[in-house]
Amino acid sequence: MGDGLRATAWKLLLGYLPPSRDLWEKELIENRLKYAKLKEELLVSPSQLTRKKVGALSYCDHPADGVVAGPLKRHEISEEDHPLSLGKASVWHQYFQHTETAEQIDRDLQRTHPDLKFFSGDSSFSRKHRESMRSILLLFAKLNPVIRYVQGMNEVLAPIYYVFSTDTNEQNAANAEADSFSCFVRLLSDSVDHFCEQLDNSAVGILSTLSRLSELLKANDEELWRHLEFTTKVKPQYYAFRWITLLLTQEFNFQCIMRIWDSLLSSPYETLQDMLLKICCAMLLCLKSRLLSGDFVANLKLLQNYPDINIEHLLQVARDLSSDPSTYRLSLTL
Amino acid sequence: MVLVLALGDLHIPHRAPDLPAKFKSMLVPGKIQHIICTGNLCIKEVHDYLKTLCPDLHIARGEYDEETRYPETKTLTIGQFKLGLCHGHQVIPWGDLDSLAMLQRQLDVDILVTGHTHQFTAYKHEGGVVINPGSASGAFSSITYDVNPSFVLMDIDGLRVVVYVYELIDGEVKVDKIDFKKTTAAHSAH
Repeated sequence: MGDGLRATAWKLLLGYLPPSRDLWEKELIENRLKYAKLKEELLVSPSQLTRKKVGALSYCDHPADGVVAGPLKRHEISEEDHPLSLGKASVWHQYFQHTETAEQIDRDLQRTHPDLKFFSGDSSFSRKHRESMRSILLLFAKLNPVIRYVQGMNEVLAPIYYVFSTDTNEQNAANAEADSFSCFVRLLSDSVDHFCEQLDNSAVGILSTLSRLSELLKANDEELWRHLEFTTKVKPQYYAFRWITLLLTQEFNFQCIMRIWDSLLSSPYETLQDMLLKICCAMLLCLKSRLLSGDFVANLKLLQNYPDINIEHLLQVARDLSSDPSTYRLSLTL
Repeated sequence: MVLVLALGDLHIPHRAPDLPAKFKSMLVPGKIQHIICTGNLCIKEVHDYLKTLCPDLHIARGEYDEETRYPETKTLTIGQFKLGLCHGHQVIPWGDLDSLAMLQRQLDVDILVTGHTHQFTAYKHEGGVVINPGSASGAFSSITYDVNPSFVLMDIDGLRVVVYVYELIDGEVKVDKIDFKKTTAAHSAH
């Protein structure tokens, strides 16, 4: 799929662009403006914020190299308006609370796709991209104080931001940051519960999703399921956690990830999560013979370092899977 | 946005046991990028404490400092500003603006930070700005009566500096601010 097409397709599939083409321009302008405003509100340093508050700088009768000599005027300020304030409402205090998050984000961005010049290295090109991604992730963390930033979110953002930045339409490419933010939020809202530790054991948490993967495997290939679950005790928690939470971004090379995401986002009959589980199941089925002949150690090693395979074949297997285990059971009893 | 802590004349342990608790609770690591200290710490423990707040620590020698190897004066560039540091006991008359202005011109800096008088002051003259952060511990001084503990935190942002003055008055921390800017960028005469 051409670079320009993919970006637009993903925007449509994620619901960022409305179905009616006439409304695209309006939506884009509005959303991009919203993003710029958010950045202004939440990502500006407290220094700049205080500068704005003061407005047309009434203090600026104090150029340091002016001729008027004498004591500099002191202005009283509130308990919250200074950098060392510990007050919860202080913009300074809030700013520093996020430095730890910002540092984690920076560390993770340094490690994102080290083999790709787009993301990695010292060029101003890659630095600009990391800056943009940093803004997106930091903004997300600030807007979602419960989840904040979790390691791996950078990996989920990367394909989106890459695809939008490499859009052949210049206008779109220039606004990749704003568009990526919105689409990242949409994509993540689907799987955000997986990132929340407190929800791990709940019906919407990661463990529940992992057991659905087991069920899906059982429904489609009981032999393999039995071999993994019972004979070799290779449970999904050991290998599929990362597959699911990071939407397979760690298991394949970058080009393959984009191809997989094309299918993931465009599946007409099921939700993204369901399609994801089907692909995970297909990943197991495609390695069936190797898995059947492997023990715990061998299988785990294999699944945690998924080998190169033909992606089109993988996706075809996924599409052909029976999705509802109960239909399978129904046909048996007939 | 670069935060620079300026403080000095602590005279620990001879004239004061420690920084006031209310100051210590605010001075936490991770917020400050540079510390410039006017001197008279006086002991290594104070040096080590300041280092925990921020690894980039600059100290000028006060006449009572145990460490004899601190320099008499120091200059450094932070962003668009050149800063100079000197304890001030060498500049006579003590605290005299004209004499300090001369030192400032000699050091060729935009902001001169000195101490010794244990009294916070911030002056502007045609050569730049002179700031005295006072005594962070409120140590007594032969020059100044009723010393209120004080220190300064500068927010250097482009061509603008916001000086936050922290004073402990009657047990409460009072914060003022002073705003000034340069009209021209620093020439890089290295």
